[in-house]
Amino acid sequence: MNIKKIINRQNIIALLPMAALAVLFLVFCTVVNAKGYRLDMYLKIVFNEALVLAIVATGATFIYTLGTFDISLGASTLFSATLGVMVYNRTENIALMMAVILLTGIVCSLLNSVLASIFHIPAFVTTVAMMSVLSAVSAQIITVNGGALGGISIPSSVVKPFDNMPFKIATLLLFFAVSVFVFEFTKAGRRMKFVGGNPLCAYLTGIKADKYTILAFVMAGIGIGLGAFLTLVYTPSVTTTTASSIGMNIFIAIVFGGMPISGGARSRIYAALVGGFSYMLLNDILEIVIDSSAAYGITQVISAVFFLIVVYITGMNYKTALLPR
Amino acid sequence: MNRKVTKVLGLAMAAAMTVMTGCGNSAPAAVSDTTDNSTDNAVVSEASADQGETRKIGVLVADVSGEEALGFRNYYEKYIQNNYNVTFDYTDALASAEDEKAAIEKFASKGYDAVISLSSSDRAQQIETCEEYGIYYAVASGVLDESQYETYKTYEHFVGQVGPSNETEFEAGKEMGKYFKDKGVKSVAIYGAFIPNPMHVYRAAGVIAGLGDTYGGTDDMNGMIGQIFQDQGVDLTKVSGDVEVVAYLQGYGDTTTDELNAAIQKAPEAFISVGMATTFFAQTLSQENIPFSDIDSFTAMNSESMKNGSLEYLAGKYSSSIGPVFALVMDAINGNVIRDPEGNAVSFTQGYLVATDAESFDKYYVNDNGDTPIFDKASLDGIIGQDVTYDDVKALIESK
Repeated sequence: MNIKKIINRQNIIALLPMAALAVLFLVFCTVVNAKGYRLDMYLKIVFNEALVLAIVATGATFIYTLGTFDISLGASTLFSATLGVMVYNRTENIALMMAVILLTGIVCSLLNSVLASIFHIPAFVTTVAMMSVLSAVSAQIITVNGGALGGISIPSSVVKPFDNMPFKIATLLLFFAVSVFVFEFTKAGRRMKFVGGNPLCAYLTGIKADKYTILAFVMAGIGIGLGAFLTLVYTPSVTTTTASSIGMNIFIAIVFGGMPISGGARSRIYAALVGGFSYMLLNDILEIVIDSSAAYGITQVISAVFFLIVVYITGMNYKTALLPR
Repeated sequence: MNRKVTKVLGLAMAAAMTVMTGCGNSAPAAVSDTTDNSTDNAVVSEASADQGETRKIGVLVADVSGEEALGFRNYYEKYIQNNYNVTFDYTDALASAEDEKAAIEKFASKGYDAVISLSSSDRAQQIETCEEYGIYYAVASGVLDESQYETYKTYEHFVGQVGPSNETEFEAGKEMGKYFKDKGVKSVAIYGAFIPNPMHVYRAAGVIAGLGDTYGGTDDMNGMIGQIFQDQGVDLTKVSGDVEVVAYLQGYGDTTTDELNAAIQKAPEAFISVGMATTFFAQTLSQENIPFSDIDSFTAMNSESMKNGSLEYLAGKYSSSIGPVFALVMDAINGNVIRDPEGNAVSFTQGYLVATDAESFDKYYVNDNGDTPIFDKASLDGIIGQDVTYDDVKALIESK
């Protein structure tokens, strides 16, 4: 196979996640219409379901680009939201609440990166430990303060002004634009890909991986903070199960979006956005088409099969002897 | 060039999603003859007043495998659905408040008439979401916290709640503990199920009180539950009294195997569970011949455990105990929203029935089984209709 053919095939495969999103979107609209459901409402639901996932996952893409992953993202989101609620309930200051949420997200993420960079513990190991710690501390705060209600909350009127599509879309686009800029148009973004693709080569070139690890985790922390705030905007209460599914869904979303698990030069900043929406659309299509009473978990089984197919197809891109271009 | 195309396409698709989302209604709702076009709040239920129309009720569930949950589902899907012009749509197991809200929004977009809740991550949010979308809402398992009920009792679409109150849960646990104390048991193991789930916290506190023990130096309900919430479980060092609690475990059955084995090694004279032991541990406890108790439901599997296993005490509800909630919801859908004498959403407390042998178990089980549930069509018909009043519903619930 000549180089031109390989490049063409790579380009086609690179387009597949977008094509899949387009197909899923059309199938979703068709299914919802065929069932006679409200398409506008259902689209809003999908958007709300995918929003937090897409934002946190977009931040996490920086970590994945370095060839590692963070399993504590869900717990960090829960912890940020928990502290945010506690701060609001004590101060009734929405601006302070937002600042605390954002800062907590960044600090949680930075702590992971510092442990990984300074003590040279693999990042996925530190994040596993962090997940346990943050979940336990959050649960303690929630149960002690929530008591018989089972959770803590702020008045829904506090976040009501933010619970609208323009704000949510603007937040998503703004964070995405910043991420694209850092990822694609700065030296830092390029070096992250280099470190993820070949750490030894990057080191020999004089690139300090630790510096970019910290930057990647800061970007992820901003995503966590925004995700935690938007979680509160959607449901202004926090229970021990808040954001519990985010950690694993991020991994699925990023892979669905065509991002190589190994990170490196083929990492794509849009993978989380495309994958997040694709994953939610797929879940909702299956939920509508398959009667839930038929068998619990059948949608998860089908999603898993799709996941394996996507990994196989996108993996075809990495099996060539051709260097990324 | 190709990379640019890829990026542009990706952004275009995401933008398409957001733009479509922001646009107005692009398809008619299943029941969308409402004239309110100012918001997304499709008043789906109010549009369907035709008595002959199939009513659609969504059911929020967190537990999809417990004996009680299966009994409830069986009653709605097999008995009620066969006898009334109604369809029930169960959610998958809802893990969080976000899942609950999304599920309600999906019911609304499908044009459902009402939502019955068996899930309790955030009931306040459930009520507010149903109110926003104009869907009738009722609680069928447990009740709202008193302050929450005060807040939401005047909401137009909050139909009401029928279930055991927190005090009832405490008393059910207390009676169970007292049963073993009166038997002369000197050492027990306690299974706390899903503490800090409030229902399980109240029951566990009740068990300790019933055993005649104290927790953190008190046997007062509020004093005990406050500490258990804080401890996120039962701290055995805080339990003191004549009956020794030799082991305590909580959590899903498959994650507590080692703890169960450790508890068995301590040879407790009884194993007291505040929920789900009949699902997780019935076989093991029966094999070890350890008398055990639980708060669950009168189902076939529990009947088997009582007859051929070591289940000795079961505080349970009829599987059809959720019948009155269905009736209240049907009345509301049909235009007769029943209110209490003060004009608020109704709130009825249901107690537990106790079986301590196969005979008493069968009395409840057989009476509530299959085609002859306690709340059968004949009794429910008495509280479904345009002329039904609060007193009619109250009288029926209290009669069972």
